[in-house]
Amino acid sequence: MAHLTRRGFVGSAALLAAPAIVRPAFAADTVKLGCLFSSSGTMANIEGRLNHVVRMAADEINGRGGVSGRTIEVLTSDPASDWPLYAQIGRQMLQQEKVAALFGCWTSVSRKSVLPVVEQNDGLLFYPLHFEGDENSKNVVYVNSPPASSVLPAVDYLMGPDGVGAKRFFMIGSDYVWPRTINKQLKGYWKSKGIPESAWREEYVPFGFSNFQTLVNQVRSFASQPGGQPIVVLTVVGSSIPDFLREFANQGIAATDVPILGLDMVEADLEGLDTAKLVGHLNCWAYLQAAKGERNQKFLADWAAYVKAKNVPFSADTVIDPMVSAYDSVHLWALAAAKAGSFAVPEVRKAFAGLSFADPSGYTLTMTGENNYVSRGVFIGSVNEKRGFDVLWQSPDAPKPVPFSPYG
Amino acid sequence: MNRLRAVLAVLAMLIVPASAAPLERAALAADLCGDGAAQARGSERVVQAATDASTDELAAAGRLLAALAERRLACGSEGALILDRAGAAEGHDALTGATRPVAEARAPVLGLRQRALVETARAAVALLTGESVAARAAGLATLERRAGAVPDTILARAQAAETDPGLRGSIAGAAQAAALSSPDPDKRRAAVAAVAAAPSGAALARLRALRSEPAAAADLAFAQALDVGIASVERAVRIGDGLAILYNGLSFASILFMAAAGLAIIFGLMGVINLAQGEFIMLGAYATFGVQEAFRRLAPSLLDLYLIAAIPVAFAAAALVGIVLEALVLRHLYRRPLMSLLATWAVSLFLVNLVRVAVGTQNLQFAMPPYVSGGAPLYADFVVTWNRLFAILFAAATLALTLLVLRRTPLGLDIRAVTQNRDMAACLGLPTRRIDRLAFGLGSGLAGLAGVALCPIYSVNPGMGSGFVIDAFMVVVLGGVGSLMGTLVAALGIGGANVLIEPLSGAVAAKVIVLVGIILFLQRRPEGLFAARRRR
Repeated sequence: MAHLTRRGFVGSAALLAAPAIVRPAFAADTVKLGCLFSSSGTMANIEGRLNHVVRMAADEINGRGGVSGRTIEVLTSDPASDWPLYAQIGRQMLQQEKVAALFGCWTSVSRKSVLPVVEQNDGLLFYPLHFEGDENSKNVVYVNSPPASSVLPAVDYLMGPDGVGAKRFFMIGSDYVWPRTINKQLKGYWKSKGIPESAWREEYVPFGFSNFQTLVNQVRSFASQPGGQPIVVLTVVGSSIPDFLREFANQGIAATDVPILGLDMVEADLEGLDTAKLVGHLNCWAYLQAAKGERNQKFLADWAAYVKAKNVPFSADTVIDPMVSAYDSVHLWALAAAKAGSFAVPEVRKAFAGLSFADPSGYTLTMTGENNYVSRGVFIGSVNEKRGFDVLWQSPDAPKPVPFSPYG
Repeated sequence: MNRLRAVLAVLAMLIVPASAAPLERAALAADLCGDGAAQARGSERVVQAATDASTDELAAAGRLLAALAERRLACGSEGALILDRAGAAEGHDALTGATRPVAEARAPVLGLRQRALVETARAAVALLTGESVAARAAGLATLERRAGAVPDTILARAQAAETDPGLRGSIAGAAQAAALSSPDPDKRRAAVAAVAAAPSGAALARLRALRSEPAAAADLAFAQALDVGIASVERAVRIGDGLAILYNGLSFASILFMAAAGLAIIFGLMGVINLAQGEFIMLGAYATFGVQEAFRRLAPSLLDLYLIAAIPVAFAAAALVGIVLEALVLRHLYRRPLMSLLATWAVSLFLVNLVRVAVGTQNLQFAMPPYVSGGAPLYADFVVTWNRLFAILFAAATLALTLLVLRRTPLGLDIRAVTQNRDMAACLGLPTRRIDRLAFGLGSGLAGLAGVALCPIYSVNPGMGSGFVIDAFMVVVLGGVGSLMGTLVAALGIGGANVLIEPLSGAVAAKVIVLVGIILFLQRRPEGLFAARRRR
């Protein structure tokens, strides 16, 4: 073993600490795709697995001979849940690595920080999360749904006779752009339905917040006030979700008393929780693991096989919407690039019009030339005992996405 | 076919009036297999029939409802099947009990509204036919939460049949409280008293709603009874809320203290800013997981005790890593605080990634023993959650033991001596290097203990430690470097301040206000609350 000098140690410590670890690669007949998903920080547990899904999709396409005769090469990075770092690494990937497209970001704040970078460099960012809408850049492909085709149908369901006839709303979110915009739109929506302002409450917590006792106490006292059935609209992200759910269950509130609509809640957030006391809480996404159909069965089997073969440090039997959306993203890009016969962003963008892809959710994704939004189906899921979601409701077809909300 | 059955069931309902309908099992099974409206009708029918139906009929209905709620009800063209577990390949016919393969049957998913109705119906069945007192009491508790959803005749029947005197009293109380809108004025007044006897926010809302109704204005005595009831419930709710604030503050403080206790020793003794402290907490939690897995393999019957057994293991594991870290790295950097800060940061990144590669990034799945899951309503709206109580008691025990070690053992004496004056202690022949190592081990071991206490509260994953370091430093610096009592007082202060400010201005502002407060305080008093007298 080499003698470990102090200077040498500090040097290696500094290397370890250097955040931007982009692995360069040089090959002639390849085309590079870049990933911007964190493997450390508060988003690591859920965001990290998307790197592997992008790789899996690329392997699948390479197995069929690549795109226009070129092999896809995936570059991964670790933006460490640090929002400005997403922009920095994104710029590096576009300018130095010359990637053909970026796949990345989970939180809207990270997307907003990458946005100017892809616009200046005329890059292409595929964004796999459902989000607050109100944005329409020609350099971002919004692979998941804006609120009009995810949140509003779910809230409608809860307010309707099939749901619980919700009359009052307790909004709890992490303090950043996605929860605030979603809640603003929801308030506008409720106002348009004639619901008075006294019927809702809004609370925000810092990122990574975990001490939810006081907030759950507040939910209980809000629920005991008169005025009709209350629900919680939960827009906290990352590790705050399981911590909130645990406190909620421990204080003895059942889904039949106060249901939670968790807008960012996925199967992976239920890992490590005893869900017997959480049965009935809801989420809404464009894909659920319980979706029916052979395409989903195949995807689940492929992922399990991939995890085993590549020794991926994530659960082989948990698949979440953003994973499928990231997988769809790579395929959409490959389809568009093949159709355009070029990897140049303007050409690929032109090829989006009329693109369609049958994805694991069972719906067929379509794109129009009008904008970079993708039509997706809508699922409402209900937590079950086995740390998963049952499909409670799903839309008959994939609604046309509405980028800008009319409600605020 | 299903639809046909549902239609037939509706026709049957139309012909026979609902109240007189016996609890016909086939019709109930068809209803529960139907659409949302049919499921709701089926469960309501069970509630309506519960007053007169025989216990056997009710128990059968209860099995059907339980199967539906737990997704063990499979509905096929040949009728409903009850499965032993969700997703099983075969089940028992709901009518005949014969075993049949599931084949093409579907398992309906309950909507939320239907789930509430099914829960109420199950609770009524449990109250009337439950095997154990606990099962019947749980049924009663659910029925009490849904005031007005069940006919009082059910409570009367349950009261008559109940053998346990304590539970019979509770049922009588519930029956009394259910008579709030009874036409008999005496009953109504008694109901107000009964509702006020079990104060809660919900009870307050019910009484206030009644107070504004015309019935209260017409009946002066009733209005007075209501006013008295409202006043007493209001007082109780306020006390309950106060207790909740106290409890929340104590619980947050216990977490802060656990995270900071080890650091107080390490930072206090050696002046080492140990950024890997959070990762020692994480290691403690992973050691706990290891103990749980070992119990699962070797002694599954004792699984509930793994948290206790994990205490020495987590302490030893974290202490060992701490001692190795001290021996390999920090020993060389004592006179250079900036370097040791960087080095411990590197170690923290190394540990996080090591665990990530070795175990994976997912949240670990802990089997939560009953003593750390759920909670009990103690007074009014104040709920004691067991996992938090566990952390509070754990923190208290840790404090007592650590004080014992520091004040009453030779090692503690040595540590205190080195903390106060390192050079003089060395002159007097104390092996300061060895004491440093042991103290570092003690500090890391305390962080490992924090990992055990946090398992039932937070999600355990490789990144869990990073959130604690800042808070821990805040507590240690505010408390006064090297003073365990200071750490305790600072933890209580920060925890309490957070909990007090949070309901007023939100969690984000609470954090900011507390931080600003700490900065202002440290400007006036840089040495912290309890400064240890020392010479350097």
